Amino acid sequence: MAMGSSRALLILSNFKFKPTLPFASSSLKPFPPFIRNNFRTRNFSAKTSSSLPPPDLPRLAETARISLAPNEVEEFAPKIRRVVGWFGQLQAVDLDNVEPAIRADTEGDNLREDVPETFENKEALMASVPSYKEPYIKVPKVLNKE
Amino acid sequence: MTVGRLFECQSFILSQFSLLCSDKERVFHVYDFISEVKNHRNVVLYCSMKSSQTQTATQEKQQPPKVKVPQHALKRTVDKFTRDYEAIIGIETHVQLSTLTKAFCSCPYNYGSQPNTSICPICMGLPGALPVLNSKMIEFAVKLGLALNCKLSLNSKFDRKQYFYPDLPKGYQISQFDIPIATGGYIDLDIPLEFGGGHKKFGITRVHMEEDAGKLLHSGNGAQVDLNRAGVPLLEIVSEPDMRTGIEAAEYAAELQRVVRYLGISNGNMQEGSLRCDVNVSIRPIGQLEFGTKVEIKNLNSFSSINRAIDFEISRQAQLHSQGQGDHIVQETRLWEEGAQKTVTMRKKEGLSDYRYFPEPDLPEVILTQEYVDSIHKSLPELPEMKRRRYENMGLSMQDVLFLANDMNVAEYFDATLSSGADLKLAANWIMGDIAAYMKNEKLSINEIKLTPKELGELIASIKGGTISGKIGKEILFELLAKGGTVKGLIEEKDLIQINDPVEIGKMIDKVISENPKQLEQYRGGKTKLQGFFAGQVMKLSKGKANPGLLNKILLEKLNAKS
Repeated sequence: MAMGSSRALLILSNFKFKPTLPFASSSLKPFPPFIRNNFRTRNFSAKTSSSLPPPDLPRLAETARISLAPNEVEEFAPKIRRVVGWFGQLQAVDLDNVEPAIRADTEGDNLREDVPETFENKEALMASVPSYKEPYIKVPKVLNKE
Repeated sequence: MTVGRLFECQSFILSQFSLLCSDKERVFHVYDFISEVKNHRNVVLYCSMKSSQTQTATQEKQQPPKVKVPQHALKRTVDKFTRDYEAIIGIETHVQLSTLTKAFCSCPYNYGSQPNTSICPICMGLPGALPVLNSKMIEFAVKLGLALNCKLSLNSKFDRKQYFYPDLPKGYQISQFDIPIATGGYIDLDIPLEFGGGHKKFGITRVHMEEDAGKLLHSGNGAQVDLNRAGVPLLEIVSEPDMRTGIEAAEYAAELQRVVRYLGISNGNMQEGSLRCDVNVSIRPIGQLEFGTKVEIKNLNSFSSINRAIDFEISRQAQLHSQGQGDHIVQETRLWEEGAQKTVTMRKKEGLSDYRYFPEPDLPEVILTQEYVDSIHKSLPELPEMKRRRYENMGLSMQDVLFLANDMNVAEYFDATLSSGADLKLAANWIMGDIAAYMKNEKLSINEIKLTPKELGELIASIKGGTISGKIGKEILFELLAKGGTVKGLIEEKDLIQINDPVEIGKMIDKVISENPKQLEQYRGGKTKLQGFFAGQVMKLSKGKANPGLLNKILLEKLNAKS
C-alpha cells in the first residue's frame, strides 16, 4: 500500500503539521489545491464533532481483525491519541461562513468508457495469491465461524 | 477548508495512518467514523453484509410472470394470526448491471466464465491499483433513478464500507453511504386479479451504486473464491417498509425486474443472481405505531420464494406472539430453505454492524448536469406502468394488460401488430393464445418466432375480412410461426382463399347430401343433430375453405327443403 502512505503524508504536510510520525516518510509532491471557490449548498449529514473521544484501541484492533499484544497496545495507544489530537487542531478552523462540500474538486470528470480490456499478465496475479488451486483461490473455512 | 473536506481529510488520514502503523499490512482503522454519521435516517438500518454463497438454483423456470399461490395450510395459519397482526415488509434489491465491463476497471464480465479469468490488479485490490469509474454505471443509475420517480443527487460520491470476508479482496466495498445517487421515489404496480387485484404504490427510499463481491464456494474444510464477479457494478434499491403481504413483496420484485429489463440495464435474472432480494419482515399488533423486531431473510431466488418465505415468516412471528413469546423474535438474518419451505437462523445480528464508512478517496465526486439528466429522461422507453395504463385505456381487460406488458418484447410485438392496423382484442387474443402456446412449447422468445407483427396483422385482417376462415387462419399461423413467409403468399400457394360463393357451396352440399341418403333420412326423421355431420362433410370436401356461416345457412335450407 505504498501509494497510501505517500498520500497520507502529502495531506499532513499540506496542513503544515509537524507531527512526530511513527513511520518513515517518503517522497513528497506538490499537493493540488483543496479549496474551491464555487461553494455549493448541500445537506451533508456527517458533521465533524467538536471533540473526539479517545479511541478504544483493543476494540479498534478487533474490528480490523488484528491481534495486539498488551505491550503493543501500550505502544500504539499514545501515538494514536496524538493523531486524534492533531485533528483537534483542525476543529479550530473557522467554518461558519463556509458551505459544506462532499469531495475535493477534481480536474474534469474522470470517467471511463465501457470498453472491455483483458488484463494479460494472469500469471503474475496468481503468483501473488497465497493459496491458489486452479481455478480457485483457496481460503480458510468461513461458514458458521462467526 | 469546508466541513466535508475536513471530514474527508480526517477520515482519509486516519485510514491511511492505520495502514502504516500496522506492521501486518492490514487495514487498521483508528477511529470509528460511522458514529458521526449514524444520525442519518434509515441508512444504518439498511447496511447489510453481502452474503455471497453460491446461489442455489430453484426449481423455478425462467421468467415466471406471476407468483404461485402459497400452500393452503400455511395460508390458514397466517390468516388466523394476521387478523390481529399487521406485517411490515421492506426489501433491499441488488441489481447487477449489464455493462460490458466492471464498475472500476475494464475487466469484461460474463456470467459463467471460467473462475478467476476476468480479473486485474484493480478488482483484486492489489496495492497501488486505482479505480476508474465506468460511465455506463452512472447512466444506468440515472435511468433507474428516473424510472423509479426518484430525486437525483446532482452531486454524490462513493464511500468505503469496511468488512472482512474472503470474497472482498480490498477489505472494503466501494459503495454510496450518506449521499446516494437517487432518493425518495416510488413504484406503481398492479396486483394480478387472482391475488385480489388492485393498484399499489410502494415507496423507494434510495438507489445507490456499489460494486459486487466475488463468489465464495463453501466446501468441507475450506472455501474457494472466484473473483470474476468482484467489482461488477450493482444498483441497490431500498424500498420503504410499505408492503404488507408476501404477494405484495413478490409483485414489487417482479415489477422491479420488469423495470430494469425495460430500461435494458440488467437481465434481471434471479437464478443467475442478477436480481437479488433481501427482505425485512416485522409484525405488530394492528393499531400499534412502532415497528416490531425486524428479521432479514436472504436466499430468495424466485418471486414465489419471496412470497412463501414472507408468509412463512409472518406466520412464525405471529405464532410466537400468540404464545406470549414475542420476545423470542430477535433481530437476525434468516435463510429461506426452499426444500423445507421454511426460514432458519443464519446469524444473529451483533447490534448494528460496524462498517466504518468514510468517503472513497480514490474516486472523484459524481457530478451530473441537469442537461445530462434531461437527455436521459428523454431517452427513457415507455415503462411498464405507462404501458399498462395505456393498454387499460385502450379497453383491454386487466388480465390482458398484465400479460402483454409483462415482457417488453411481447408488448413491442403487440404494439407493432396494432400499428399494422390489427383489431385490438383479436391481436391480444392471438398473441396470448396460440402464439404464446407455441412459444412455450418450442421454448422460444417472441423475438425468435418467424411470424412478423405485420403478418399477424395481415392474418387477422384476412380472417376478419372473410378472405380465409378462422380454421385456415390457425393453420397458416403455425406455418408462419415456424417458417415465416407472408399470409398472402401462403394463401395463394396453398389455394386457401375462403369460398364465399353460395352457388359453389350449394353444389358441394348437394353432393354430400346425395352421397349420404341414409343420414338424410334420419335427419328428416327428426335426428337434427346430424346437421353437424353434413356440415363436417361439406367442410372436408371444400378442404376447409367454405365460409362456415354461409355453409350452415345453405345446408339448413337444403336439409329442410322438401325433396
